Amino acid sequence: MKKALVFLMALLIGATSWAYVDDALSFAYEAASPYVKKGFNVREDAWGGDLGVKDQQAVQAQLFKGNEYWFCLGTDVKGAVLSVSVYDSKGNIVNVETTRAGRLSAVRVEPQRTGTYYAIVTVHKSPQERTGWALVYAYK
Amino acid sequence: MPIILNATIAAYFLAVAIPLYAQKPPEAVDLSLFPAQAIDDVLVPVPSEIFIVLDKLGNPNWRSELRDSLGRQSGNRAQVALLLGTVIAEGFVAVEAEDPEKVKDIGRRVLTLSKAINVEKAVLERSKSITDKAEVKDWISVRKEFDGALQDVKAAMQELGDDDLAQLVSVGGWIRGTEVLTSIIRKNYTSDSAELLHQPALVNFFTKKLDNLSNKRLAEDDLVERIRKLLAAITPLIGNGEGEVIPSENVTRIHKMTRDTVAAISSKGA
Repeated sequence: MKKALVFLMALLIGATSWAYVDDALSFAYEAASPYVKKGFNVREDAWGGDLGVKDQQAVQAQLFKGNEYWFCLGTDVKGAVLSVSVYDSKGNIVNVETTRAGRLSAVRVEPQRTGTYYAIVTVHKSPQERTGWALVYAYK
Repeated sequence: MPIILNATIAAYFLAVAIPLYAQKPPEAVDLSLFPAQAIDDVLVPVPSEIFIVLDKLGNPNWRSELRDSLGRQSGNRAQVALLLGTVIAEGFVAVEAEDPEKVKDIGRRVLTLSKAINVEKAVLERSKSITDKAEVKDWISVRKEFDGALQDVKAAMQELGDDDLAQLVSVGGWIRGTEVLTSIIRKNYTSDSAELLHQPALVNFFTKKLDNLSNKRLAEDDLVERIRKLLAAITPLIGNGEGEVIPSENVTRIHKMTRDTVAAISSKGA
C-alpha cells in the first residue's frame, strides 16, 4: 500500500513537472516565432527544467561558424524574470543581441569559431519557489 | 488564427521590448563552477545546421551525395535504430538536393523502420506530412518534419523505456551526416569548411552514451562496438582546441571511417 502511494505520488509529481515544462516550451516557441519569419529554422529539440530564484543552469550546444542563432527562453510562471546568455568554451560571453519581454527572452549569437558553447539560464526573480523554463534555438 | 496572433504579439513585444529587468550579464563566467550534470547533456544538431554552412561556403552537388540504397534492415534492434538514424539524415541530404521523389521514398522508409521497433505511431503523421510537403516542394517545412520525426521517434522510444535505442538513432544520424560533410569538404578543401568537424562535445557525448548503455545486449552488439572504436579514432582527428586547423588528410580519414561504418550499418541485413 505504502509502495503504491509512493508510486502514485511519483507519477503525480512527474506529470506536474512535465506539464510546466510543456507550458514553458510553448512560450519558448512563441519567443522564437518572430525569427521564423526571418528565415530561421527552429529546432524541435529543446532543453527544459525548473530552477529556484537566483539559480542558474548551463546547457551545452554545438554551434557552427557561418550560422546565426537565436536562443529563445520561455517560462510558465507569470511575473518571473529569466534571462539567457551564451558563452564560449573559455567562458567569454558571445551575445550579439538580446531581447526580453515578460515570459519571453532571447539572445542572438554569431559564432566566430565552430565548437562548444554554453547557454546559461538564470532566474532573476519569481513569485514561485521553483520556476519552469524551456529553451529552444533557431538557426540560419 | 491564434497562432498568427501569438506570433504577431511576440514579434511586437520582442521588437519594442525595453528590458524589464535590465541586468547586464557578466562578460565572462567560470564554467567549472557549474555542476557536471548540468552541462553533461548536449542537443545533437541536425545535419542541416551544418549543410547550410556548406551552402554558404560553396555550391555542393547534393544530388551526388545521395545514396542509391537506403540499406537493409535485420531483426537486430540496434541495427534498425542506427539505420533509422542514417535514413533520417539522408532525408536532410535529399532536402538539400531538392529531390521530391527521394524525400518521399525516405519518408516511407522512416515509417517502415519505425514499425520494426514499435514506434510507428509516433511518426505516422510526420511521414504523411513529409510526403505532402515534398510534393509541393516546401523544403523548409520538410526539413522541419525530418527534425520532428527524429525527436518523435526518440521520445517514443524513451516512453517505451528504450532510451538506449534512442541514442543509437542519434548516433546513426550523426555518422551519416559526418560522412556527407567530409565527402563535400574533401572535394573542395578549405580550413574554414574543415573547421565544421570540430565537434569534441558531441563525440564525447556519444562516447559516454555508448559506454553506459544499460541494455546488455545492445552494449555488446557488434555494430555498437564498431561505433565505439570509430568515435575513439575520430577524437584525435577533429582538433583539440577551437580554431585549430583540421588538415585535409584528417578529413579524408574521417570520411573513409564514417563511410565504412554507414556501409556496415546499411548492409547488416543483407
